[in-house]
Amino acid sequence: MVSKMRDFKFVDSSKEMDKEQIRESLTYWKDVWRRLKGNVVAVIGLIGVILVILFGVVGPMLSPYYFSDQITDFAYLTPTLDVFQITNVDDGDSENYFVHLNNDYRLLLISEDGHVLERLIYTGRDRANFIYFYDYEGEEIAVDYSKRTDDEYTGDIDYTITFRGEETLYPTKTVWNKTFLLGSDHLGRDILCRLMYGARISLTVAFVAATVNLLIGVAYGSISGFKGGTIDNLMMRIVDIINSIPLVIYVILLMVLLDKSNMWTIIIALGSVYWVGMARLVRGQILSLKDLEFVLAARTLGVSQGKIITKHLIPNAIGPILVSLTMMIPTAIFTEAFLSFIGIGMSAPAASWGTMANEAISLLEKYPYQLMLPSLAIGITVLSFNFLGDGLRSALDPRLRKG
Amino acid sequence: MKNYYVKRILSAIVTLFIIATMTFFMMKLMPGGPFARERPISAELLEVLEEKYNLNDPIFVQYYKYMIGIVQLDFGNSYKELGVDVTEQIFLKFPISLRLGLYATILVILIGLPIGIISALKQNTWVDHAAMLVATVGVTIPSFVMAVVYISLVAGTLGWVDAFGLDKWTSYIGPVIALSTYSLSFTSRLTRSSMLEVLRQDYMRTARANGLSKFKVLYKHALKNALIPVVTYLGPMFAAIITGSFVVEQVFAIGGIGRYYVDSVSNRDYTMIMGITMFYAAIYIFMVLLVDVAYSWIDPRIRLGKNSGE
Repeated sequence: MVSKMRDFKFVDSSKEMDKEQIRESLTYWKDVWRRLKGNVVAVIGLIGVILVILFGVVGPMLSPYYFSDQITDFAYLTPTLDVFQITNVDDGDSENYFVHLNNDYRLLLISEDGHVLERLIYTGRDRANFIYFYDYEGEEIAVDYSKRTDDEYTGDIDYTITFRGEETLYPTKTVWNKTFLLGSDHLGRDILCRLMYGARISLTVAFVAATVNLLIGVAYGSISGFKGGTIDNLMMRIVDIINSIPLVIYVILLMVLLDKSNMWTIIIALGSVYWVGMARLVRGQILSLKDLEFVLAARTLGVSQGKIITKHLIPNAIGPILVSLTMMIPTAIFTEAFLSFIGIGMSAPAASWGTMANEAISLLEKYPYQLMLPSLAIGITVLSFNFLGDGLRSALDPRLRKG
Repeated sequence: MKNYYVKRILSAIVTLFIIATMTFFMMKLMPGGPFARERPISAELLEVLEEKYNLNDPIFVQYYKYMIGIVQLDFGNSYKELGVDVTEQIFLKFPISLRLGLYATILVILIGLPIGIISALKQNTWVDHAAMLVATVGVTIPSFVMAVVYISLVAGTLGWVDAFGLDKWTSYIGPVIALSTYSLSFTSRLTRSSMLEVLRQDYMRTARANGLSKFKVLYKHALKNALIPVVTYLGPMFAAIITGSFVVEQVFAIGGIGRYYVDSVSNRDYTMIMGITMFYAAIYIFMVLLVDVAYSWIDPRIRLGKNSGE
């Protein structure tokens, strides 16, 4: 094997070759972000969280309603409406109008594209033949329920609509409810609007409670961990005692004690109890960090204890703190919904998801969607925050770091 | 060894004592007093009532009497329902919640554990991914959402079973599912990660290298060690299921203690709230104690570690 000159090539000496490729340095947060982006589930969670925040913050501004606006005439409307045509442009009427009979036997006038125009007034009934009469601009609309006992139609037809002597057996079409996109509740309030305000309440409760927990928990835990000895023992005994009964029971007791049901009492109740988990976590972190060399160095340089905690220890424990914070938010959302649901949280007319679910439970058989919507909202929100939290946990875990 | 148990039991009693004290004084701080109504009651009647419930005594005498009562398992009379004894009510309503809780726990053990084990053995296959996706969703769905979904799907739309009350065995299905979803999902996740941790250990390789059958490696070596953290979770979980049934009992209209507690809270029935809170705390503390004792028995490292530390 003799190497020949032609096996080799001269390097173009005019180009300066770098021995090292210069890359932008990867900071801690950039690294975390990079790994978070790589995690599909976490990204889904992040998108979900952003959507929920937009829904709660921007949504109410776009809604034509306020959460307590009641249009009692338009109560119990579903998101989709089965409509029967009564007037027709082709027959010389000025407009195509439809009527919709809801599950509470209210007859409503619906426009072509699905806007709810007015509730038609009930004028009387023919008891013997199961016919109910409503008034439309002086003309009579008859809703005939007799067909459901008629053998010829059994099971097929619930009612028929007769207008100007013409009987319509089946709904002309099904339209989306444009006035109340997700329907209206038992008082004629727009469910979509209430869901948006519900998101606002849930997020406010969650973020404020989480912040309160963060402040108390970090302060408590870091002092306990840093001081050690008797102080630590005493402080952790208190945490143990608080932790020894289910936290929900404390929250319920506190709600009773505060004796008022609004958002701030829930935040106070949550904030005064749920910090114990954070305190434990921070204490553990501080304990493992405080004997490391950099703390010793800081001590030797005469840095004050407060500064060591705030400038050296807590920044080093920020990862687990952040994860615990993200996980705190769904817990707070869930607890608020839970309290409102069992009737000791937000009180009417507030539009908390829990309150909405609670109000809808008695209407379950006729209007299941009224219960499904707030439940779905809670589920999606809690799920998004949990996905994000799980993703953050693995992104922040240095043991999983590659390269 | 014995010292450790004695210490744990003593500390449980002290904790209960402190909780009793705290609830007592919290209730005394309550604004309006127990007999505040929309329409104020007459002064004479109020006096009679306060006499009956020992509310005229100095607060520390009340406290003393209350604590003596607790020791004798006597939580006093209800403030709102005449002649109703709190302890009696607790023992009347609790078995219903206990039964639900037991069934839910059995479901967790029968389904949650195997799912976790199978997921770990089939790590990174579609079985694992599917099971863990369901478990993640299960952990995050609040129990009342679960209950609602069940009612509207199975009982409502499909009309298979009755959704409310506990008259037939089928009516247990919904409450038990709703009650166990969270714990079931959490248990399967916990089992999976603990199993994976164990499977990675050196002694597993040694066992296989020694030619033990797959079955033996799995059951004798892996499972025994993997279940330690799971067992410690099951205790508090059981307590949490029993004490966390407010919502499920409310939704399914079951007359257990959880629903009764919520009713007492809405009625501001102070003695009832105090009694049930104490009862809940006692269950919870007892379960944690039980687990601690069991833990030291399953895993000798804990026991030895505690003793050598002193």
